[in-house]
Amino acid sequence: MRRFFQLPWRTRQQIRTDVDDELSFHLDMRIDALVASGMARDEARTQAIREFGDIDDARRYIRAVDHDIEAARRRSDYMNDLRSDVIYAVRKLRGSPMFTLTAILTLALGIGANTAIFSVVNGVLLKPLPFPQQDRLVRIQFRQQGHGDASTPPDLADFRTRARLFEGFAHFEGLTANLVREHAEPERLVGAQVSANWFSLLRVRPLHGRFFAEGEDTPTAPLVVVLSEPLWRRDFGADPSIVGKQIQINAQLVTVVGVARDGQVYPMRAELWMPTRFSVRDLSDATRGARWLSLLGRVKDGVSLETANDEADRIEKQMEGLFPEQFRERRARSTQLQAAIVGDLQRPLYVIMAAVAVVLLIACANVANLMLVRATARESEMAIRTALGAGRSRLVRQLITESMILSIVGAAAGVMFAKWGMSVLIAMAPDDLPRVKTAAIDGTALAVTASAALLIGLVFGVLPAVQTKAGDLANALRAGARGTRTRRHANRTKRFIVAAEVALAVTLLTGAGLLIRSFRELMAVDPGFQPDHIMTMRVLLPGKTYDTLPKIADFARQLESRASALPGVRSAALGNAVPLDGTSFWLSFGVRGRAPVRQSEQPSASIRIVTPNYFTVFGTPLLKGRAFTADDRGNAPRVAIVNQTFVKRFMPNEDPLGKVVEIGWKIDGVRQGGQIVGVVGDIRDDALDANVDPIFYLPFDQTPVDGIAITARTAAPPASVTSALRGVVRDLDPTLPVYAVKTMEQQVATSVSRQRFYATLLGVFATVALLLAAVGLYGVIAYAVSQRTHELGVRVALGASGTRISRMVIGEGVILTAAGVFVGLVASLGGARIIAKLLYNVKSSDPVTFIAVALLLGVVAACASYIPARRAARVDPLVAMRGD
Amino acid sequence: MASGPMDLLQGTLDVLVLRALRLGPMHGYAVSRWIRERTDGVLEIEDAPLYKALHRLERAGHVAAEWGFSENNRRARFYRLTPDGRRQLKDEEAAWRRYAAAVFKVLEPA
Repeated sequence: MRRFFQLPWRTRQQIRTDVDDELSFHLDMRIDALVASGMARDEARTQAIREFGDIDDARRYIRAVDHDIEAARRRSDYMNDLRSDVIYAVRKLRGSPMFTLTAILTLALGIGANTAIFSVVNGVLLKPLPFPQQDRLVRIQFRQQGHGDASTPPDLADFRTRARLFEGFAHFEGLTANLVREHAEPERLVGAQVSANWFSLLRVRPLHGRFFAEGEDTPTAPLVVVLSEPLWRRDFGADPSIVGKQIQINAQLVTVVGVARDGQVYPMRAELWMPTRFSVRDLSDATRGARWLSLLGRVKDGVSLETANDEADRIEKQMEGLFPEQFRERRARSTQLQAAIVGDLQRPLYVIMAAVAVVLLIACANVANLMLVRATARESEMAIRTALGAGRSRLVRQLITESMILSIVGAAAGVMFAKWGMSVLIAMAPDDLPRVKTAAIDGTALAVTASAALLIGLVFGVLPAVQTKAGDLANALRAGARGTRTRRHANRTKRFIVAAEVALAVTLLTGAGLLIRSFRELMAVDPGFQPDHIMTMRVLLPGKTYDTLPKIADFARQLESRASALPGVRSAALGNAVPLDGTSFWLSFGVRGRAPVRQSEQPSASIRIVTPNYFTVFGTPLLKGRAFTADDRGNAPRVAIVNQTFVKRFMPNEDPLGKVVEIGWKIDGVRQGGQIVGVVGDIRDDALDANVDPIFYLPFDQTPVDGIAITARTAAPPASVTSALRGVVRDLDPTLPVYAVKTMEQQVATSVSRQRFYATLLGVFATVALLLAAVGLYGVIAYAVSQRTHELGVRVALGASGTRISRMVIGEGVILTAAGVFVGLVASLGGARIIAKLLYNVKSSDPVTFIAVALLLGVVAACASYIPARRAARVDPLVAMRGD
Repeated sequence: MASGPMDLLQGTLDVLVLRALRLGPMHGYAVSRWIRERTDGVLEIEDAPLYKALHRLERAGHVAAEWGFSENNRRARFYRLTPDGRRQLKDEEAAWRRYAAAVFKVLEPA
């Protein structure tokens, strides 16, 4: 049965008294009865107590039972109240659909965007790597002037024998594999060559078969490969019996020994793994100069990562003592694997997360204002309910219930919105963002969303409740019927919220503005070549078939001449890389005739290997000397071309032509290099926002390489020659997969995809923030106008013109905005410094951006105020003053 | 061993209390007196377990309690059967009768 009024629940003390009363009533009654039958009072008392039995035990027991009873009553009362609160709230919310819809949509937008971004950030940055005790895994990176962070086979051996605080070390290096299957196009795969203990160091188990056994990374062991699960599904029909069979990789037969579980691998994008087969020479001290391995270690349990890092550093210092020549000032550092992977992504992703949190704040501010307006409109309802006996806490609970429902429904809609947003985000994310493809809305993200929703609900419920002070209620009743009473306090809160909203939007807009401007600067950079009308693609010649330099050179000559002859191709050329494709191949060099310097202090330059037409295809100007010609053959004198930056940096006051440069690279025992015969213009080879590298070009014919980039300048759109170019490769060697097929314009776009991603995201969020702030501004101004109808009517009656009135209203909006803009700009000055590192050629205090944002906000504020201003100007004094 | 008072079987007291309350709302003392009169002192019933039973039955929802005034105008806690308690009583009564009938059947001379 429902109770219509509430019995107060009994306290511990009340229960105690009740129990005592009940028991003493019993004893008294019994004693009285015995006395009435003629017994003496003392005797009667003794008898009554004896008849009763263990009274203390009974007392304790009854109290405990009564506690249970009260607790159950409290629970059921609470549930009943909650149910009626919810029913009432839903009825109320359905009664004002515009309010409800606006609030829910706004919250859904804010919460949804946050859930989506949080899920991405969580997937990329926060979620632990999928390996047991992954926090013990570290990358060992080396630092030495003029070298990358890679290491050598002897380094691995050194660490294995000297380290005490590590369980083990393993290494990996990149592997590109041409996979040839029957009745299928040859395919180029990316994988890793690893030490045999690779998977056991990661502590993962295979899906099928086994991982590598000890000794399989020696030159005499049979060739084995582990496939990734996606590759196994895609190319081998998920057939477990592939284990034990041989497949053809890089023109060799290799036995499949196992399949690695999807997601539980490293490197994450590898599709297959093969053991590195170190030769005796690889392991000798002779290779200590050439570094190409990445080292991974697992720190023992109970050893702190810092201690382990100290040990790595100590080992490296010992090595420097043993090999002072090669290891001069070389330092080792161990970084937690996850941190090493995430690296420089942290800052931009946290900036984006902060940006989306600001969007949520603005959304919340809008909803808060909506709630306040509504609370004002409902003052009389609240007053009546109070007069009917509803306690203040009951009213607050009612308000909280309403806002909870709003925020929970908003969050649910937000999660749906986030699902859609995630698919857009993932499609848009740059390929090199690690783990982003597997990011999903998981339990963590949902928990964060849920707590955000609860917090929002609570705050918005309490906020209007705080506004509705108990003392105001009588006033509210009196004025309530008209509902036109201006409440200075409430209006001040609303204005403050709107100004804050504008300020927040300004910070976002400035951030986005800076990034967008930076991106435009980046796109305006002259790459040093004309990217339009160039098609590029790559092939990799397997060493098994193309085992001699003449074979490679011969293949390359035929490829180039056939490609050049294709209709639609103006000129075609080959190289070891194309600009901006991420290839980085630096070597140290010496100039003949100069005093010899220590190996570790030799200068280094980026090496590019090109055919004569390469400069024609890219439109790189020849500044001095001559270009390569077909006569620069393998048996002709060795020649080289350098770029302008090379000359500026290494031969500033000399004539580079005629100088002989020798690089630290031997092919068939012959030191590579040559006489400089020409100087070409600079090309942005590495990245648009990086300094131009010094480049040392070698003729392809004299230095043939197995990884070949085919480039073609076309007359028509570049994609029109793609299939013809593929055909040329197929005709020459049907087992060669063609990959990295990209126009040069795509290449440029890919190279700035991260910057584009950040700028786009921030731009979208800033736009949403601006819209929300405009809506908020409109809402507050419109509400103020509706409250002032009476006053405005009087003004019109007294002769104020419509223009004057609307100017007054717009002025109010502009003043609010100006305050917000001012605060926002000041905050942006500080905030922009955080993204200064992400900016190219734009200062974080860029005045253009700041002024543009201020103007934009001004225009938006004027527009948002215009509609209510027009309404104000049209106020009919008669209607307004008659009241309602 | 015919003359002495007998111990109560487990759970019996609850039935007796419910049965007493079928007469109408009454306080604990009245319940105690009524049961004693009806059993003619055959069952040894102390008041402590009786009160425990009353509160236990309240927690179970079989009886409801309310403070009221006794015939001599003192504040007393009155118990009444809830619909739930009425059902419970019916069930337990039937169970008891079946139980007793079965025991009698066994004791009957063959």
